[in-house]
Amino acid sequence: MVHGILLARVPPPEVDDLVQEVFLSALRQLHALRDSSRFGAWLGTITRNLANDYFRKAIPVSKLTEPVTENHAKTGASDHAAEQEAKAILAVIRALPESYREPLMLRLVEGMTGPEIAARTGLTHGSVRVNLCRGMQLLREKLGETSA
Amino acid sequence: MKDDYLWDGSGEPDPEIQKLEAALGRYRHNQPAPAFDRLREIRPVEQRRAFFSLRWLPQLGAVAVIVLLAAAVFLVLRSRPSGNAGPSWDVARLEGTPRVGWHAIGDKSGPGKLGIGQTLVTDNFSRATITLDETGRVEVDPSSRLRLVTNGPGRKRLSLERGTIHATIWAPPGEFVVDTPSAVAVDLGCVSFIPAGAICQTRPGIGPGTPYLEDASASFRDALSKFDFSSTTAAERTALLGVILADARKGDVLTLWHLLSRVSDPDRPGVYDRLAALAPPPAVVTRQGILGLDRSMLDAWWNSLGFGDIYLWRTYEHNWSQRPPKVN
Repeated sequence: MVHGILLARVPPPEVDDLVQEVFLSALRQLHALRDSSRFGAWLGTITRNLANDYFRKAIPVSKLTEPVTENHAKTGASDHAAEQEAKAILAVIRALPESYREPLMLRLVEGMTGPEIAARTGLTHGSVRVNLCRGMQLLREKLGETSA
Repeated sequence: MKDDYLWDGSGEPDPEIQKLEAALGRYRHNQPAPAFDRLREIRPVEQRRAFFSLRWLPQLGAVAVIVLLAAAVFLVLRSRPSGNAGPSWDVARLEGTPRVGWHAIGDKSGPGKLGIGQTLVTDNFSRATITLDETGRVEVDPSSRLRLVTNGPGRKRLSLERGTIHATIWAPPGEFVVDTPSAVAVDLGCVSFIPAGAICQTRPGIGPGTPYLEDASASFRDALSKFDFSSTTAAERTALLGVILADARKGDVLTLWHLLSRVSDPDRPGVYDRLAALAPPPAVVTRQGILGLDRSMLDAWWNSLGFGDIYLWRTYEHNWSQRPPKVN
């Protein structure tokens, strides 16, 4: 879940490091968790806050763009094309409204089901289902526009 | 229902969603997460007020231990495949603002340290060096990501997750290892010397090839590439070696010298003869010695080729004002 939420917000190369930061931060703040049934939502909040902190750092955003030539050496032409396609899809999802972005990332990237997303994030089944459906609908439209 | 597949993967699969899952699966997180869930089992909501009661201290202690262990395992698996401790590498900024984790290495912050598990990241505008007195110095180019994996006695291991580095190593052969997405490069006492104007290619699962000059002929480079990366049988390699030797010019002695230790015993005399014809060996070098890969004779021959003293290649930093070795 942490990985998916971060992927919805920060550049992919930064996600792994931030996952560690989130868990370290969660351990440090564990004493502040009053209701253990809200653990998922609490961890999600820490994750979102750290993602926001990432963008508050003094490093200009322009310097954090992924290098265009990244990993060219390790991938063949077809794999490179698939990678570019995946990056393009990821960019479209990241441009969606936040309420759709996260559930879609957890469903399509992390492979979680709707009930699992609801259980981890603390949202209701209905809310997750609506956001998944609307988000998917919007994603189809955006991808259609992109390909057109 | 129509959206059952999107909801929980049941029902009739939606091809478009399946395509998205397949494309985006490459970003999926595959590391174990800390077992925080135990917390919920042991601390139900209705017992919130009793959180600090002594009655729950043993359970809370157990939870804390589990959580800490799980997190530690997670972090260790993520960042320290082999847990050899050792001194940190000194990080110095060359340009821009390289980072170690969240710590920016800049003019004001001064030099930093790269410890085991930490990652040095350079953006499109920054460069840095990392130095360990007993091992060597590594220059990290822009848009690179370099992690220190192991730093124990007798083994220094870096992982180059993306980008380019130039290493000057004075540690004993075999101590310094770099994992890359396409290969694991082990410093074996500078088995490959790549001077200015030369190239050395690597391939996933195969590793570094034989260095060659950038201006080598197309047929020479093609045969060398097949020799290094595509040939599967001894006969095939021998045939490709024939092309390489036939097409070799005087400048290609760099490649032929490296091939001496890369070809099979039966093929080595041919390489010796061609190299000797293009660059006659010094008096101290004998055919028998080279065919037996006598290191002092190989070194002496290298020194006569005009690429610099091999002692400098093995021991001291090359002149960084020159174009550094390029690894593709």
